[in-house]
Amino acid sequence: MSSQVVVKLENVTKRFENLVAVNNVSFEVYKGELFTLLGPSGCGKTTTLRIIAGLEYPDEGKVYIDGVDVTEKPARERGVCLVFQEYAVFPHMSVFENIAFGLRVKKLSKTEVERKVKEIAEILDLSNYLNFKGGKLGLSEQQRVAIARCLAVEPKLLLLDEPLTLADAKIKEKMRRELRKLQKDLGVTMIFVTHDQLEALMLSDRIAIMRSGRLIQLGTPEEVYDNPGDLFVATFVGSPTINLLEGVLEIDGNRLLLKTDSHKYAVASDINVKTLQGLVGSEVVIGFRPEDVEVMPEGVLEGVVKLAEIAEDKRILYVKLNDHEVKVFVDLFTSFNEGQKVILKINPLKLHIFDKKTGKKLLKGVIPG
Amino acid sequence: MVVKNILTRVLAWLILLIIVTWTLIPVIWIISLSFKPYAEWRTPSLFPKNPTLDNYIILFSPQSVSIFIAYTAIIEPITGPLIRSIAVSILATVIAVIIGFFTAYGASRYNTPGPFTLFFTLLTRMLPPATFVTPIMIYFTTLRLLDNVLGLILLYSATTLTYAVWILKGFIDAIPVEWEEAALMEGATPFQVLLKVVIPIARPGFVVSGLFIFLMSWTELLFALVLTSVNVTLPVQISKYVTAVGALWGVQAAIALLGSLIPLVIGYLIQKHLITGFTFGLVRG
Repeated sequence: MSSQVVVKLENVTKRFENLVAVNNVSFEVYKGELFTLLGPSGCGKTTTLRIIAGLEYPDEGKVYIDGVDVTEKPARERGVCLVFQEYAVFPHMSVFENIAFGLRVKKLSKTEVERKVKEIAEILDLSNYLNFKGGKLGLSEQQRVAIARCLAVEPKLLLLDEPLTLADAKIKEKMRRELRKLQKDLGVTMIFVTHDQLEALMLSDRIAIMRSGRLIQLGTPEEVYDNPGDLFVATFVGSPTINLLEGVLEIDGNRLLLKTDSHKYAVASDINVKTLQGLVGSEVVIGFRPEDVEVMPEGVLEGVVKLAEIAEDKRILYVKLNDHEVKVFVDLFTSFNEGQKVILKINPLKLHIFDKKTGKKLLKGVIPG
Repeated sequence: MVVKNILTRVLAWLILLIIVTWTLIPVIWIISLSFKPYAEWRTPSLFPKNPTLDNYIILFSPQSVSIFIAYTAIIEPITGPLIRSIAVSILATVIAVIIGFFTAYGASRYNTPGPFTLFFTLLTRMLPPATFVTPIMIYFTTLRLLDNVLGLILLYSATTLTYAVWILKGFIDAIPVEWEEAALMEGATPFQVLLKVVIPIARPGFVVSGLFIFLMSWTELLFALVLTSVNVTLPVQISKYVTAVGALWGVQAAIALLGSLIPLVIGYLIQKHLITGFTFGLVRG
């Protein structure tokens, strides 16, 4: 991937009356990458997208596209194209006319329009639909028409606003694959908005996680998943959600203890406690993902199986500790009974320690020792 | 089940038949009357015994049918009023629909000029027309628009504007903003967005409001009667066939029939859009 910057947002803020929809957001998107804005609904991700598109204007900050300040420019002068959540395929026009729309606006010759439309229809597998009216298409076709219509005008940047939310699970998967393939094949720079963390993890080159108008964390899917910057990112990304234990951190020999209201857990043993010295006595939230816990023959953390559930190629154990419940991935073919006692071992390298008050990350990974 | 189905159908047909008969009898009566000679006007028969075209001929050449001359000091042939009526109705419709569209668009998308003003436009329809005949006449005298086709056009488009605004606003409200934004993303200017997206999709709204306004202008009598004397429209022309010794019913029937032909043809031509237009709000889901 070349590192040429296509879009740059600089301290962008947008207010709607009393609500700060986008709060001092800055990031850069590189040429050819699929960049995702991820966050719960109302986090400002769509507004950010619309600011890049030129459908909203920021109250503060600058937007650059290909190095040019476009903050004040209208949408049509930016060379970007947005695929809407509901696709916005013109219902009164045929698929051909939909794709030709932008070309005709640009006043291309008739033969040129025809050539280009056919070429793009070919790429998106729409050749057989060219005479269909826009209002009569299925979702998958509508999505492809919307994308084709955008690609026809050769934008520097393709923006997609939750393009998969309308589809049901099966079509969604197909559409997701098609989208990723298309993006790779054509090398289009895409900014993709979604509230679906799984979708973001699967599709993106880089993910920007937003919450309440702020950009919380920016990184590759691996970084975001393995090294969440705060409690919000940790819980928002990953499914099933990360296990969380709340309490006061203590050290006993080479063991990490967590003192909750009613109990004391030995979260990890045989560790190098040096890095933890500074945290002793502070209120923390300890997080670890279900795949970073193992059921062991002996150890320090004991619990009772409440429920064993099959999830695709794995089995999820819901294990009750005294006043917490944790999820553990185990092999599909090992069987566990309800009420069975198990001993858990958490991989200390995959422990996330967050400040309980601020949610900020305090420490990632404890070295065994 | 089957018996019940048949019964329902029969009942439905029966009701339809009654409604259709009820609606059509006056029309048939007028058709019949328009072909009756003077002597038969007062005979209540459905078909004329000695059918004649006199009633039509007199419309176009008032001096040629001698029997009527005694009754009326008529007037000009129907062609003048007919052309005037067509011109007034079409132009009033076009003006009302164009201004109405832009008003409706502004109201729908930008909430201008505010909800109160929008309701204010209804005022022209809330007062009985008779209440403002006199003020309008005074205005028109000052503006030198009396007995002037232009005056009628302005007046009709002003008083019917509110229909165009309200009908078209409903249609524009139903168009998702994303469709317009999608066009903007394709490089269209705001004006191109209107021309290529909003107007074509709202077309049934134009058809419905246009037909509505056309019909209102086409049949308007009160203001035309007061404001014009020589340059009259069709409805006023009909009223002129009422003489001191009685109405020329046959002639009035003929003129009424001719007068309803044009809306009929227009209605037939735009039938498809009319159905979309009338059902638009209902099937939106």
